[in-house]
Formats: sequence, C-alpha cells, structure tokens
Amino acid sequence: MDYKKCASEILTGIGGKDNLASAAHCATRLRLVIADNGKVKKAMLEGVDGVKGVFEAAGQLQIIIGTGTVNKVYDEFIALAGVEAASKEDVKAAAAAQAPWYKRAIKTLGDIFVPIIPAIVATGLLNGLLGGLSKAFPGMADSYIFALLDMFSNTALVFLPILIAVSAAKIFGGNIYLGAVIGMIMIHPNLVNAWSAGSGAQTETLWSWFGLWNIQNTGYQGHVIPVVIAVLVMCIIEKKLHKIVPETFDLFVTPLVSVLVTGFLTLTLIGPVFSQLETWVLSGAKALIAIPFGIGAFIMGGVYAPTVVAGVHHMYNAIELAMLADNGQNTWMPIATAANVAQGAAALAVAFKTRNKKVRSMALPASLSAFMGITEPAIFGVNVRYGKPLVAGMIGGACGAAVASLMNVYATANGVTGIFGFLITTETFVGYLLTFVIATVVAFAISYFIYRDEVPAADNAQKDADQAGAAPAETAIDLNRAFDEQIVYAPLKGTAVAMADVPDETFAAEVLGLGAAVDPVEGKVIAPADGEVSTLFDTHHAIGLALDNGMELLIHIGINTVELNGEGFTAHIADGERFKRGQTLITFDKALIESKGYKTVTPVIITNPDDYAEVKKVAEGSVDFLDQLIETKKG
Amino acid sequence: MKTFSYTIKDAVGIHARPAGLLAKLAKTFTSTVTLEKDGKSMNVTKLMMLMGMGIKCGDTVNFSVEGEDEEAAAKAIEDFMKENL
Repeated sequence: MDYKKCASEILTGIGGKDNLASAAHCATRLRLVIADNGKVKKAMLEGVDGVKGVFEAAGQLQIIIGTGTVNKVYDEFIALAGVEAASKEDVKAAAAAQAPWYKRAIKTLGDIFVPIIPAIVATGLLNGLLGGLSKAFPGMADSYIFALLDMFSNTALVFLPILIAVSAAKIFGGNIYLGAVIGMIMIHPNLVNAWSAGSGAQTETLWSWFGLWNIQNTGYQGHVIPVVIAVLVMCIIEKKLHKIVPETFDLFVTPLVSVLVTGFLTLTLIGPVFSQLETWVLSGAKALIAIPFGIGAFIMGGVYAPTVVAGVHHMYNAIELAMLADNGQNTWMPIATAANVAQGAAALAVAFKTRNKKVRSMALPASLSAFMGITEPAIFGVNVRYGKPLVAGMIGGACGAAVASLMNVYATANGVTGIFGFLITTETFVGYLLTFVIATVVAFAISYFIYRDEVPAADNAQKDADQAGAAPAETAIDLNRAFDEQIVYAPLKGTAVAMADVPDETFAAEVLGLGAAVDPVEGKVIAPADGEVSTLFDTHHAIGLALDNGMELLIHIGINTVELNGEGFTAHIADGERFKRGQTLITFDKALIESKGYKTVTPVIITNPDDYAEVKKVAEGSVDFLDQLIETKKG
Repeated sequence: MKTFSYTIKDAVGIHARPAGLLAKLAKTFTSTVTLEKDGKSMNVTKLMMLMGMGIKCGDTVNFSVEGEDEEAAAKAIEDFMKENL
C-alpha cells in the first residue's frame, strides 16, 4: 500500500488542507476535525485505497484505516497537510470549541455551579424545613437549638461567593486557593454587608474613578456573576504570569500579583459593573410583574428559571422585602413558587419517563427538593442539561404565575416557596393551591410529552445514515404470546442455525456457552424477556443481557464484526439500562455489513450454562421474533 | 501467588471470542485467576464481567494467579495473552 498516495487522496477528499482544523489518530482511525463538513466528499474518501470506512462522530471525521497502517498514513498526512501532530485531547477540545459561544458559556456556568450544589442543598434544604417548622410551631423560633440550626442553614448562602470562587478557579484552570481568596475579599467583614446596605446601613466611598463614579465599600453577599468574572480575570492573569515570570520568582510573584491586581479590579470595577448589571436585570423584572391582567406575571413565571441559571435570583429577596415593607403583601413569592414547582415537575416527568437509571436517580431527589423550594439540583442537574424540560418548566411556571396574579395571591413572609409556602399564604390558600397545581400539571405534562432520552452522538450519525437509505419494512412484534421462563425466545427474525453449524470455530466449539444461532432476514435485535443490559460493547456488535429469570445471554451479531468498529450498528439502549420483552436493543444494516464481507449469522448464547442441566435448540427452519428458539432445564 | 502484567496489542481488545477462550482456559486450572484494570478486579472465569471490562488495545491489565497449580496456570495464561492479544 502506498501511504503517501492514500494520505494525499484523503486530503483531497476532505477539501484540502485549508479545511482541516486538527488531526490525530488512534489504533485504527484517523480522527480529523474539519472546518466545513460540507466540503467533505465522503464517497470519494470511501473509495480511497486503504480506507476501510468513514463516519462522523463527536464533532470528528473518523477515517478507518487499520492497525499498523494508520500511523504511517498519519505521518504522511500531517506532513502533506502541514499541521502539527495533535493529541486526542486536543482534537476533543477543538470539537467542543465548535459549539456556539452561548452554549459554551452556559456549559461553563453549569460546570461551575454543579459541584457546589451539595453544599447549597445541605444548608438550603435545612433552611426550607426550618422555615416550615417555625411557621407551624411559632414558639420554636425562640429555642437555642433553632438558632443553631438556623445558623447552619444560611451558611452556604452567606459564604456563597467563596464556594463559587473555588469552583470557578478550578474550571478556569487557576489555583483554587487564590480563587478562594478573591471570593473572601468580596465578602470581607471589613466591607459593609450587602444585605445590611440594602436595608439602609451606612456605606463609605472606597474609591472614585476620576471623581465621576464613586465606589462604595459594599460587600458582594448574594452575588454570583461578579464572582465568576473576577475569578476568570484572576485565572487569566495567573496563567499569563506563570508563563512570563522566571521560575525562581514564580512562587511569590505570581500569587501576589494575581491577587493584588484582581482584588483591586474586583472591588473597583468588576464588582460594581457586574453587580449593577445584575441589579438592572432585577429592576427590569420588578417593572415586569407590574403589567396588569396577569401578563407580566406570566412572563416572569416563564423567565424565572433562566434567571436562576444566571444566578440573579438571589437578589429577589430584596424585591420581596421591599414589597413586605410597603404593604405586607409579597406578590413575588407565588411567582417564584410557580416557577420552582414547575421546574420540579418537569424534572419529575424526566424521572418517570427516562429508561436510564442514572438519570432517574438524579432527577427524582432533585424534583422533590424543588417542590420544597430548592430548585438548583433540578434546574442545573436535570433540566438545563436536557434543555426541553427547562422549557416545559418555564411554560408551567408562566401559567402558574398568571393564575397567582389573577387571583391576587400573596405571601406574608419571604424566603419560603413550594410546599412550605402554604404556611405563609394562609390568607389566600385557594389561590396558592391553584397556582401550585396548575404550574405542576402543565410542566409535568409538557415535559413528559417532549422529553426523550439522549442517544450518544455516534449513534445519531449512524441513524442519519440509516434514514438516508431506504428503510426496510419492519415486522410487527406480537407481545401477547405465551411466555415460559425455561424458553429462550428468538431475539431476531430469520433461520434457526445449530451452534455447531456457525461458521466460526469459537462459537461452534461452544467456548462462550451454549445456545443456538439465527441467520437474520431483518437487521433488528429485540429483547427476548425483561432484564438489564450487563454489557454493551462499544462497537455495538454484541450485547450481554442479564435476564430477570437469572439467565445471562450474549447476542453476537455476525462473525468477526468487531472489526467494523461500530459501522452499521446502532444501539437503542445504554449499558446498565433495563429493558422490557420485545424492546428493540440494536439495529444493524445487514446489507452494509454483508457488503463488507462479514456474515450476519447471530449466535444467541447462554453464558452461564453451568446453571442449567440441559440447553437444547428447539427451533427448526424459519423463526419470527419471539418464536421459541432454545429450551432449557434447570440443574 | 503469581502476578504479571500485559499490555493488549490486538486492535479490538478483549471482545467476545478472546474473552470466551480466556475464561475457558482459566476454568481448566484450580487456581483463581484475577484480572485487574484501573482498580477494578474480577475473576477471569466470569465471562460477562470479563467482556464488561471493555478492555481495549493499549490497555495494561494485571493478572494474579493463586492456587495449587498457579505456576502452570500463570504460564498458560501469559502464553495465551501473547499469542492472541
């Protein structure tokens, strides 16, 4: 094989070197990041001598060459293309960078907030519980133990900027302890507490920009965005300094200068500017809910969750306090409740609908927490991540908030939403109940309707390819048939083949276990009984099942098909997921696999044969889905 | 106890067929053959678990063999790995 010729033809096929962002290779594949995928001529690439297959996955164009040859083609390729050799990590990073900026920004915010959620939940949930209890038993608030618990319950929020700073420093690649120092500076006790300042405490001028703009000595309690920006700036300075400061001085010069410059910039510029931005968002919101006929509340209920995402909701306490001080009626709280329980309901729908255990184990507690007024786990952990549930929650929140506004629901305190909110809305109980129910029902219904489990990117690419081709007629599966635990039902449609006749000595010699094979007529594998996926091969050519009757089953599609590296196979279930009898597990492109020279005869193997006294193939000739294939007798 | 490491050279790693052969080989000895990768370890005779480890080309796995015939078992397994993977 002529490596140079192969490399130069690949380069032409991807639209020349100007269209190449970066290149790496693994054991078998060239992994390329392409600037404009439209210029790639896939058919031409597939025709290149030495190329065994081409597909797109995870933002990369992957060209299968083969072990032992891929590195040689790669060497020629980077010489021709004039690019630096990139590591796999570089290529992954470049692929991530292709996401639009706002997606990257949201992802970054998520990356920063998600790790600190446990701290917020621990103390925030305690806060909600105490709020509820003290409303139910007013005498309790005077006890010492309550005072102690109350102190615990607000700790994470009081020192929130430090938590955010640490997490942000980690994400932005700076020193987390220096990040913590920046967070501490922003809420240093020598500054006037932002909450006291909000309720009228005296502040002094700290700095004056050219006598035009006076900076007050106010802390940044309850602020989020200024902290993130400050730490971002610090990390940029720190990383730059590490590069330019000689190593001998690095240890003391870099931390000193990073903290000094960032600290000064933060208190005089970053803090005031970005907290002002936060405040503007807030006053905009206040004007908004004043729009009559429930329209304003409808909008606010909708955008409430995104403001939580942006972190500005911590300031809503100020609005609520102002309302209470004015006439004792807090009309903001019902809107917050509608938005919060709607997000909880949207996450609950995800928990109900998903087939992925991990997603469910995250969505369920997050949802319950949202109903108690702590929405961060539901919003960040579930709804933002999957997108659609966030939108469903926004619509539900909007509807609930409109109801609240039309029925003049108000609260007599603040800081409590969700279920415990009933305790502070006793004067408008019916309205609050309706707000709660409508927000929940609407959000749950929409989320349940539009949420779908994510399919890994590689499968999507494959699916698109499948849809482009003519879809073969599908056989309907009859589930209302007799079911016997001793029987293995056919997971494929085709011709039953004795294991000894499988054209591969390993299977024929029953090295992997006992069973029978099916020579398929349709490229689909379904579940023969209820159970759980114990092993899904990365290449999707085989799947191990742990059935509920204790049987371990391996379904291996074709012979030597591991070499296809996933090409032609689409998994419809993930590792560890549960499935029901008749559910589609894997589909495969029979024509494509056979055109590459592989047989699709599929052994169905019981891999724990020691648990059975007898395993016997019972099907002869053609079998339909869920026909009896193998009979077993327990030992 | 006998221990040894092996780095997988086969392009597709320990997929169904080599896993089956390896499990079958391990069963022929009375010694317990344990495979460890990235802190996860398992008995090699457990076929599903072996396949579930998702061992790929370039991965290094550590074997430990313990029992009466550990000498012979370790050698047989090491030879098998060199020959097939």
